Formats: sequence, C-alpha cells, structure tokens
Amino acid sequence: MIDLSTFLKEMISLPGLSGYESPVREPIARTWQPLVDELSVSKLGSLHGLRRANVKGDHHSVLIATHMDAIGLMVAGLDDGLLRVMSIGGLDLRILVGQMVTVHGKRELPGILQMIPDRLQDKSKAGSPPGITDLFIDTGLPINEVSDLVKLGDLVSFATPPQEMSGGALAGHSLDNRASVAALTLCLEEIRKFNLAWDVWAVATTQEEETLVGARTSAYEIKPDIAVVVDVTFAKGPGVTDYHTFAAGKGPTIGVGSNMHPALGKYFKTLADEMDLPYAMEYMPKSSGTDAMAIQVSEEGIPCAVLGIPLRYMHTPLEMVVLKDIQRTGRLLARFITQLETDTMEKIFGERKA
Amino acid sequence: MKELIQKLCEISGPSGYENNIREAIKKEVTPYADSIEVDPLGNLMVRKGKKTEGGLRILISAHMDEIGVIVTHVEKTGFVRFGNLGAAFPWYLPASRVLFLNGTRGVINSEPREDNTKVSTIDQSYIDVGASSPEDCPVKIGDVGVFERPFMDMGTRVASKAMDNRSSCAVLIETLRQLKKSPHELVFLFSVQEEVGIRGAVTASYAIDPDLGIAVDVTSVGDTPSAKQMEVGLGKGAAIKIRDSGMLCDPRVVRWMRETAEKASIPHQMEILRQGSTDAYVIQTSRSGVPTGAISIPCRYVHSPSEVVDVKDLESSVQLLLKLIGGPVQLK
Repeated sequence: MIDLSTFLKEMISLPGLSGYESPVREPIARTWQPLVDELSVSKLGSLHGLRRANVKGDHHSVLIATHMDAIGLMVAGLDDGLLRVMSIGGLDLRILVGQMVTVHGKRELPGILQMIPDRLQDKSKAGSPPGITDLFIDTGLPINEVSDLVKLGDLVSFATPPQEMSGGALAGHSLDNRASVAALTLCLEEIRKFNLAWDVWAVATTQEEETLVGARTSAYEIKPDIAVVVDVTFAKGPGVTDYHTFAAGKGPTIGVGSNMHPALGKYFKTLADEMDLPYAMEYMPKSSGTDAMAIQVSEEGIPCAVLGIPLRYMHTPLEMVVLKDIQRTGRLLARFITQLETDTMEKIFGERKA
Repeated sequence: MKELIQKLCEISGPSGYENNIREAIKKEVTPYADSIEVDPLGNLMVRKGKKTEGGLRILISAHMDEIGVIVTHVEKTGFVRFGNLGAAFPWYLPASRVLFLNGTRGVINSEPREDNTKVSTIDQSYIDVGASSPEDCPVKIGDVGVFERPFMDMGTRVASKAMDNRSSCAVLIETLRQLKKSPHELVFLFSVQEEVGIRGAVTASYAIDPDLGIAVDVTSVGDTPSAKQMEVGLGKGAAIKIRDSGMLCDPRVVRWMRETAEKASIPHQMEILRQGSTDAYVIQTSRSGVPTGAISIPCRYVHSPSEVVDVKDLESSVQLLLKLIGGPVQLK
C-alpha cells in the first residue's frame, strides 16, 4: 500500500528539473516497478510503465501522461562571486527574491536568491518586480571558491522543504506536477487487481515546462489510441475569477476545449457522475497548456482528455495541494481504465474511429 | 577557410529561396560525399560513411538560409513596401541596402518620424529601387531580396551580412573535407527556412531518423560594450551550447562535447543563450526523440548586415566536430 503523503513528500524533496529529470525518475521507477509489467526509459528520459492487457490478439492502448519535471533555475554566469541565472520553465519572478535554493555544483551548496536593495536600485525600477537578469544567487563563498565549485549550466533547485498543512493539504515545491504523478501511481496500484482489456502506458514525461518534448516523443513511440493527460490547474483564491479557477478540495477538473476530444470529456464526466465523485468542468478554449498540446497532434492525431488537480500558488517555490484531490484523480483514472472494453473506442467515438 | 566563408556569404539565399546557396554548397561538398540528395523542401543532405559496429547515424545540421525581405506592395509612386523573411530587426533597417534575387538593388528608408529617438517599424519603412511607378518598378509583389554589404576582412575577424549561418556551413564543409575516417553513418544537413521558424530541419530530421543530432549555428556574445548578460566571447573558441530559449541540450551530449574538447585541448567555451534557438530544437523533438546538442559560432551583431565572427572560432569548431564524429560515441 502506497502512502500518498510519504511518496509525494519524497518526490518534492528532489530536484529533477526539466531536461534533468533523473533524480526524481528513480523513486518513481522504484514505486512503479511492482505495479507494471514492463518499465523502460525513453530516448529523452521519460519513464514508460506498461500494464499489459489480459486479452489475446488485437487490443487498444491508452497513454496516461503526467510530467515529472520541475521548474527551477540554471547558473548562466559568475559575477564577482555571485551567480547569474536563467530560469528553467516559467517562474513567477515576483516571489523569488529571498528564497532559499540549492546550487548543484561540484557539491550541493545552499544559496539565497537576491537582487539589489530597492533603495539602491535605479529610481525607475524602484518598487517593481525583478527581471531574470536582475536576480543573483549568493552562496556566501568567496570569489575564487565559487569558480572552483560552480560552473555555467549548473542547476539550481528550490530548497523549500515539504510542509504538511492543516486540512489534509501539503505544501512544497514541484507539486506541479508531482501531485499528478502521485495520482497516476495511486491509479496503477488500484488497477493492479483488475484484468484489463487495453494496454495501459503510464508515462512520467520530461520537459513539459520547457518544450513538451518528452510527451511529444513518447506519444510518437507508443502510438496510443487515446491519451489522458493529468496536470495541475489553478485553485480558487481571493481576487481571481470563478471561471479561471477551481476550488481546492472539491475534486479534479475535466478539461473541455479544442485541445481535448469532446467525446472523451463527456465520457469522463459520465464516469465521475456514476462514481458520485466531486469534479468541475474546466473550459480551456484555446489550449490546455499541458502535454496534451503535443500528444494531440502526434502521429495521425490522438484524442486527448485532460484532468486537472487544483493547485494553489502555481510556479512558485511553495505550491499547495489538497491530498484528497489527488486520491480522487487516481480513482477516476482507475475507473476509466477498468471500464475500457474491446468496443469502447466505438462507444466513445462512434463508427468514425472504429 | 576565409575564402570559403566569403564565397558562401556573398551568395543570396533568403529563407525559402535557397537555390543558389544550395548549388554552391553542393559544388563544395561533391568531392567528399558518398551521396547527395535534395529533399522536397530543398534541404541538402550529404551522406558520408557507413555505420560500423558501435557506430551511430549522426545528423550534423547547419541552416543555409539567411534573413531577407519580401515585397508586399508597390506604391503608385514606385516605392516598395516589404515584409521580413526572418528576424530582420527594425533598428538595423534604415539606410540598409538590399539586393533582390532578380538583380534589382534598392535602399531602405522610412516615413519621417515624429520622434527621431524612436525606431521606425517595418510597416513605416520602404525600399527605394529608383522607380517612380509600379509599371517601371523592377520588382513586384513576392520578389525577395537580401541585405547587401561587402565582405570585410579585419584579420582573424571577418564581417558579412550572412555569417548567420554561412559561417557554420563553412564549418561543415571544412569538417567534411578534413574527415579521415569515422565509425558512423554521417549525414551533413544544410537546412532551409531556419530563420522563419526552424522548418527545414523538421522534415529532414524525420527523413534521416538519426541516433544523435548536432546543430551548428551562430550565437550571440556578451563581450561588446554594455552587452546583455552572456558569458560567450568572440575568439574564445567553439561554444558548446547548454541551452537556449528554445530548448535544453541533452545533458549527455553536452558532457560528451565538453569532455572531448577538454581532452583534445580544443579552445571552447560553454554557452547559455537567453534569446534564440537553432535546428537542434527540432532535431531533438523528431520521432521518438533524438539526443541532441549544438556547437555555436560566437557572432557579434547577429541579424545585422554586418555580422562579425572570428575565424579561429570556426577552426576550433571544425576541430571539435572532427574529434566528436571521428571516434566511437559513449553518452553517459
């Protein structure tokens, strides 16, 4: 039995920044190993877990994609003993100043993200948030030792430790998207005792925060009939509109929009209703901002569904999620998979996809 | 090397119209190639060698197109309105000269500005080709041209309108010329339409289906007065790309390049580019994914009609490429 909180806390204590996912791939692989029939790593580092169908002959396959990479920073220059940085993934620059980070140099070094004090900077910039080139990292080391230990391209990850909050919530960095990896893991555990009519590919993708290249190439390699992408979505909070955000603790969202196949969204909605599982419909008219963007247009086209786990303070070093939402997402995924039958493609999409 | 760079730079080949530069490169590589192929989009693929045991199919790509202009409208007064092919920055346009593929020459200028401290947009600019009506105008809608500025030799440093990316084309040609033997199946790609969104390399990578990719392209520098934060400098060696704003190079490829350069004492520097990308981006995303890296030629004033590179950096890049593809590859 996987303990959600323990597993998730382990994952969000590790770096695994986009393009450099191996530190977090290791515990995911270890956890998935007993839950799948085959485990492999793609050419670009995505983790592929295959649960084989228990039927002979031709059968369909579904890909469940959760990206495992995290946002962070990279050392882009040494400047008088301080480190200049470039972001990996989209960072919310307004909240970076004053954060503790870990610089992955020759050895791990604690660092503080800082910028010029407001009173000393150019008047035109006073009071405004920094640009990425305004930021630097102070490791406390003297100039000559910094250049011995740190070089261009070294990674910088957030050092925020996981924090269990009241109300069954968990806070920490990289919950985007390790929360979804956890949901998929719970799903794999739940479907273990079921016979399956479809092959199930559980995939922890790489570089979603940068180019979606992990999902794009894994989808090409696996060529699934349909794909389900699980990623975090914006949780409700003061000052944001109701239609852009979704209450944390009230279940996953089911994506609707041009990035998702409408029939699949409808199918998930029916499943959630049957299960009496709380959920919200999330309308994403343009694109979902997830791996589905790459998977949908892979090969000859792959119908996608997108599930969202509401997350507070996205793309900051301290994100927050309600564990119950992760469990519900895992259950919904498991229900979806165990209900798949030989003729489900026809049932969902009609004759056209037969 | 310098003569080769000059020869390649002086040929017109804006994105989508690479015929002339392709023919010139074809002529250069023919003596060293096993086979040469032009694909439906106009990419030039030059194959050399067979995969032997432990060998890989390696794609080495340099785009051969350059930025340019395209006629969008000819006014009643004969002035030519134009759009850009690739990122022709508006601040480099005023008083530039252009050479159209049909031989017509013209000068760029712009409508008067209220405020001379502001840069005119491309929509406010026009090309004067000496015409006074659409009828006597020697260019029409859709005609394309490139910036015109003579090649300049400043010693080890040279300037031209198309160092991006003919300097890299020269590196590939020179590598092919000097290559003695390799355990790999090598495909040298001279790609089209990089400047308008990295297109040629998309289809070429798909067709070639490589095990490993290396792009060669120019990069910016941080060694000019008050330059933006960047560690790369002219004359400091081949730049091994760690990342740019479009992609993250495969860390295994970066390590392989860095260690190869260190072991062979080839002048090199590490590159992080905040703005821009190369063919490497699309090679990496091809099919089920390709471990990909890039070697960059440090270049000042990129996308201006006077781009400056240091020939020593090109030579270092050739040496590094030769070492990389001349022996077995162990990615770790």
